[in-house]
Amino acid sequence: MDTQWPRYMVFQQEGPDQPVVHNGTVHAPDAELAMLNARDVFVRRPEAVQLWVVLADVIFTQTQEELSTTASINRLIDADPPPAAGRLIDFYVFGKFTQQAQCRHVGEVQATSPQAAVQAAITTLADKQPLWWWVFPVSAVLKNESTEAEPMFSAARYKTFKDQAEYPVVTMMRALRNQKANQKDTENTK
Amino acid sequence: MERTHQYALSGYLIALADDELILGHRDSEWTGHAPILEEDIAFANLALDEIGHAKLWYELAADLLGEDKNRYPDQLVYFREPARFRNLQLVELPKGDWAFSTLRQYLFDAFEALRLEALSQSRYVPLAEIAARIRTEELYHLRHSQAWIPRLALGTEESARRTQAALDALWPYAQALAAPLPGEADLHAAGIVPSSAELFARWSAAVEGFLTEAGLQVNLGAPISDFSRKVHSEHFESLIQNLQSVARLDPEAMW
Repeated sequence: MDTQWPRYMVFQQEGPDQPVVHNGTVHAPDAELAMLNARDVFVRRPEAVQLWVVLADVIFTQTQEELSTTASINRLIDADPPPAAGRLIDFYVFGKFTQQAQCRHVGEVQATSPQAAVQAAITTLADKQPLWWWVFPVSAVLKNESTEAEPMFSAARYKTFKDQAEYPVVTMMRALRNQKANQKDTENTK
Repeated sequence: MERTHQYALSGYLIALADDELILGHRDSEWTGHAPILEEDIAFANLALDEIGHAKLWYELAADLLGEDKNRYPDQLVYFREPARFRNLQLVELPKGDWAFSTLRQYLFDAFEALRLEALSQSRYVPLAEIAARIRTEELYHLRHSQAWIPRLALGTEESARRTQAALDALWPYAQALAAPLPGEADLHAAGIVPSSAELFARWSAAVEGFLTEAGLQVNLGAPISDFSRKVHSEHFESLIQNLQSVARLDPEAMW
């Protein structure tokens, strides 16, 4: 039996002018605890103005490679019969543009399914094509309330952290060793 | 500030700092042992925050006493005899199970939030400024511990049983939050600190409501017999030995 808690994707915005980017995952029994876990795991040092958590299972991903192969298109057609009365819902669209880059927010689309959302994103959003797309319903996201921003993130701004180099232990150990070696030398020469 | 107030306030601050230090130490015992990795990180964060708050209060006390701000906190923490610590017994009890530690954190955080709110209005400005800064962080602690209570108390049969057992064990100790801190009467009259009894009344109302809503029986059983911060439980001496062991190996060591 899988006793692991579900996985939530964590997205973080580091400054008001920065995009929301994917930062990692946390396990949590529900979204509220995922939010708290996300704060503790990801926001202690780098700054943040906003955190989003979303259940990993609801994220629909498609790579450029998948999009370009017939097999995958067939798979999509099989997997996603178009809904009869297509109700449009809002999707967030994220894209990963290089292997190193984090998946970042590129916009929103309205679509009847995740697959359709990717298609809509391809036609309306991408100035350059990302290596892979992520789409998920706007309604699936838990964001921190703006009133919570201060208690959640302010510590990361004013806390200073000591650099390893600031601990003089290594230097002290070396000095002690030298001192001992010198003592031995003088004893030997006596 | 008047000289008598300086002494009273330094004693008051050391008691506050001792609470934070000892709670932080107990929290740190979860490092590597918490139920999941994320919570391990979270509780280690809490521990660090509490110890950081202790440091701020010790430093302010050092200022008031004309002591060296860089040395005094270490002296108090690493070289004081156990009997001279002024923390509550509530924070020194062994960490227990997850329900026990989380519930203790909640009871303490809920009181801290009220006290820091009041302290941030203090007429002594350096105190008010530090309180405001700590309060921001404590509000997050409260949110974290508060989130856990209903999940434990309304979770499985076992988690409910353990949470109730934790509350039954902690409640008598938590009543000591009502007792005035060292030097409080004078400082309160001077508008420097709030009255613990008044804070306690507000705390009781909020906490009892919240716990009852989470399906817990708030046990109004007899409080512990001695609220004095000069009296410690049987568990305290070994905690201090552990806390001070490294520093006492080489008191002259530089870190």
